[in-house]
Amino acid sequence: MRRSPVLWLFLLPGTLLYLVLFIYPTLSGMFYSFTDWDGVSPSYRMVGAANYKETLESIVFRKAFINNVKFMLVVVLFQTLLSLGLAMLLARNSRIHVLLRALYFFPTVLSSVSVGLIWSFVYDPSIGLLNLSLQKAGLESLALSWTGDAGLALYSIAAVQVWAHAGQMMIVFIAGLHSIPAELYEAARIDGGGRWQIFRKVTWPLLAPSATIVLAYTTIQSFKAFDLIFTMTDGGPNYATEILTTYIYHQAFGSYKFGSAAAGSMLFLILLSVLTALQFRALRADRVSY
Amino acid sequence: MPIQPKFTPVLLAAAVLSVSLLAGCGGGTAGQTAPSAGDGKQAASAPVTLSFLHWRGEDVKSLNGLIEKFQQENPNIRVEMQTMPSDQYQSGAQAKLTDGSSGDVFASSPGAQFEALAKAGLFTDLTGESFLSNFNESLIGPGKKDGKQLAVPFQLVYNDPIYNVKLFEKYGLTPPKDWEGFLALCAKLKEAGVIPIAFAGADIGPGQFMNTMVMNNLPSDDAFVQVGEGKAKLTDEWWVKTLSQFKELNDKGYFQPNALGTKDAAAGALFIQEKAAMLASGSYQLAQNKKQNPNLEQKLLAPITVAADKAKYEGVHTSTFLLAVNSKSKHPAEAKKFIEFLSRKETAGTYANETGQNVTVKEVQYTSKELLAAGEWSSKKTIFQPRFTITNGEIQKAVTGSIQAVLGGKSPEDAAKEAQAIVDQQIKK
Amino acid sequence: MLINSLRRTLLLLYAAVIIIPLYIVLVSAFKTPGTFFAKPLSWPSPFTVENFTTMFQSQPMWRYFANSAGVTLGTVLLELLLGSMIAYAIARLGGKLGKGLFLLYLAGLIVPSQVNMLPIYALVHRLGWTDEHGGLILVTAALLLPLTVFLLTGFMGLLSKEILEAASIDGAGEWTLYTRFALPLSAPSLAAAAAFLFVMVWNDLLLPMLLLNGKSKLTLPLAMLQFRGEYVTDYPMLLTGVVVTSLPMALLFIFLQRFFVAGMTAGSLKG
Repeated sequence: MRRSPVLWLFLLPGTLLYLVLFIYPTLSGMFYSFTDWDGVSPSYRMVGAANYKETLESIVFRKAFINNVKFMLVVVLFQTLLSLGLAMLLARNSRIHVLLRALYFFPTVLSSVSVGLIWSFVYDPSIGLLNLSLQKAGLESLALSWTGDAGLALYSIAAVQVWAHAGQMMIVFIAGLHSIPAELYEAARIDGGGRWQIFRKVTWPLLAPSATIVLAYTTIQSFKAFDLIFTMTDGGPNYATEILTTYIYHQAFGSYKFGSAAAGSMLFLILLSVLTALQFRALRADRVSY
Repeated sequence: MPIQPKFTPVLLAAAVLSVSLLAGCGGGTAGQTAPSAGDGKQAASAPVTLSFLHWRGEDVKSLNGLIEKFQQENPNIRVEMQTMPSDQYQSGAQAKLTDGSSGDVFASSPGAQFEALAKAGLFTDLTGESFLSNFNESLIGPGKKDGKQLAVPFQLVYNDPIYNVKLFEKYGLTPPKDWEGFLALCAKLKEAGVIPIAFAGADIGPGQFMNTMVMNNLPSDDAFVQVGEGKAKLTDEWWVKTLSQFKELNDKGYFQPNALGTKDAAAGALFIQEKAAMLASGSYQLAQNKKQNPNLEQKLLAPITVAADKAKYEGVHTSTFLLAVNSKSKHPAEAKKFIEFLSRKETAGTYANETGQNVTVKEVQYTSKELLAAGEWSSKKTIFQPRFTITNGEIQKAVTGSIQAVLGGKSPEDAAKEAQAIVDQQIKK
Repeated sequence: MLINSLRRTLLLLYAAVIIIPLYIVLVSAFKTPGTFFAKPLSWPSPFTVENFTTMFQSQPMWRYFANSAGVTLGTVLLELLLGSMIAYAIARLGGKLGKGLFLLYLAGLIVPSQVNMLPIYALVHRLGWTDEHGGLILVTAALLLPLTVFLLTGFMGLLSKEILEAASIDGAGEWTLYTRFALPLSAPSLAAAAAFLFVMVWNDLLLPMLLLNGKSKLTLPLAMLQFRGEYVTDYPMLLTGVVVTSLPMALLFIFLQRFFVAGMTAGSLKG
């Protein structure tokens, strides 16, 4: 195929914008990670790798890291299962299915600040929808302190994250299901496969491309779930919902340690890159081409 | 044929070059003084626009009225106000103040924020300005550093729990003088089916209530300063005692159920609906409560955590909303004029009575019941908010975190130990 | 039969999980604080629109709407133009080079905004773009470029190579190919990407918060954040804010649903 140099001009405006307003600030963020800049002063000193050492040793950073991994695993697991399940149930293009798809998708168009506000209200222990309904249903023992209990808060927010995004991922799966040729199902049925066998032998392998998207997207999304935690618990109680992005934010804006925050975000970046790369590799390995 | 070989490097070079050009010669300093866009236009009588940045969204209406008046008096100055909720104020304001693009006049809170901004040299020294004499000398200390008045606190807040006077009367209760008395009071309220204390454990509660809880346990007024310097520890007797008293209130059910999951608004609601007899916040909330329930009669009271004769303090005060002129401002004279205007007793009085906030300005006439209720605390012995003597944000968080840990079921000793471990990491450097 | 009714129950249950919180928020906007706190779950009685009238009287709501609409439209259009050009070039270049460029953009997807918000702010100020909707649009467009390129490269890769090849043999230049073939052919996909971006830009909070100052310049989510300060414990008012800011997106969603849904499948088509 012949490639014209004109194509470079197509790349120019966007790439220029991207380099100047995205890559350059990101790199200067990286630069600040080697300084003791407080985020407000006009001057700073170079401190070498001190911020990295300090961050890796920090008790709070470690807590945030562990919370983040837990949060991610829970969200990835439940969101993927739920969205896959919903997609299987709604795969047929009937009128009611299309309606339900739209309904399940709807939370995605709300801003995370709105979602955070809505669910803060749902979870509130004394005036909240959830506990009031449980009490009315006579299930008082289930009326828990959803965001106040240190052992529970992270999972309560994970549930909101799933609530807000499962519908989106469901759509990806439905598209994947629709791209599977019908003949394959027929062939499998003729071979006498049961529901489960058909799922395992036909559906699942051919859904791998969609699953890649869902997993990658959900992983990144759950690692970046800042707005939601920020509006709902701000990392509390007692660091129980502190994740890496809230940690970074608190370092930069609560403690005035921008250098250390920058180091934290670089570590975060490395972690996320490795994770994404691993995921793509793992899923690519067992992909079936068709 | 593939790409023409010479094209790539040239383009990349061009891209990189334009990046460095656009990015300017920034290289080192982060907050270089920017070339001002409107330099040419500032001559003579061209109107000046001041940006006024703060976090009191509740006060916007009242301040708009005052700004109108100020503009009538100074037709050449326009004031544009921007507010952000306090949690956003930290990040939003920080970026905006550093370059002088906005916040010619801005507010900050004492403690960590004030220290950081002072260190960054963002304050114009106001020492010797004549309007300082409008303020109550003893209340503007938190805006001083190294003998210079860098900012003037405008609001006076009493961070003491609010109580429902009628409910207290109904059960024949009066503010107690010691810890036993406070526990007995809570027990009586609980028996009567009233929530003794509405506590916003999820957000502002620990940071507010810790002040009155610790004030009489402190070995010295600067105990938290010493914690920051490594000379005292959170595992010392005074903080562990405070934590165990928090635990006592919680274990006996004197806070509403699931207090740790309750946010500011919901805790306030319990008090406003008269389901709770006390609200662990501060005088700043009196006006809001009244607005939503005009039948409320409110006063302040502080738990005394020791025996009556051992009590050093009756309550806690904070001079806050520190008004300052940005050192990067292009219009410092006009900015000072605006602060001077706010500091007049008529202006400050209007502000106070419209917003329900006490002020640090002298001889202000308060008219509302709530302001008078708070105002009577000026003659009492109060300590400057202990939490704000912690100038490291992370230590502050560890301290309030230890309260949440105790309410979540940890032993006071363990919670203190964990918090101290975080403090140790902070002071090591 | 059993499986069918189980399926139906599950679907309805999940529908309830979505609807009930939204329903409660909606009815709360028509309550007074008193009735809200006394009976949070009941139908509003008295039914009042006072929250809405107060909000529209005390706030320049229409102005916020106009600001949000302007910024969102501007950003999305710019984004589609730049993104489609890049995606087109990547698809046409193909091979290692195309992949490399694609990865350069993909890398941007994982950068959290906490990393670069202060440097971006400093840069924008040096360029003199603070408090300008234009500056906000450029910055937002730059930050969303990774996502757009990710979405559109999928589409563009699907364009029939033969058609483009044939046209280019006929002597059509790249620009002609792009405007006459690539863009029209991917129009549905562009619309889908537009819907996707529309939501993100409309709801964005961080960048407007950093870059806008004047009250007359605020976008809706930013204004809603200010309500949180102004109506501290006034839950109905806050929830009214949620309803008002979400309404445009909700309506848009109802009418342009298929584009929203298609936007999500965009990336997965290529796999």
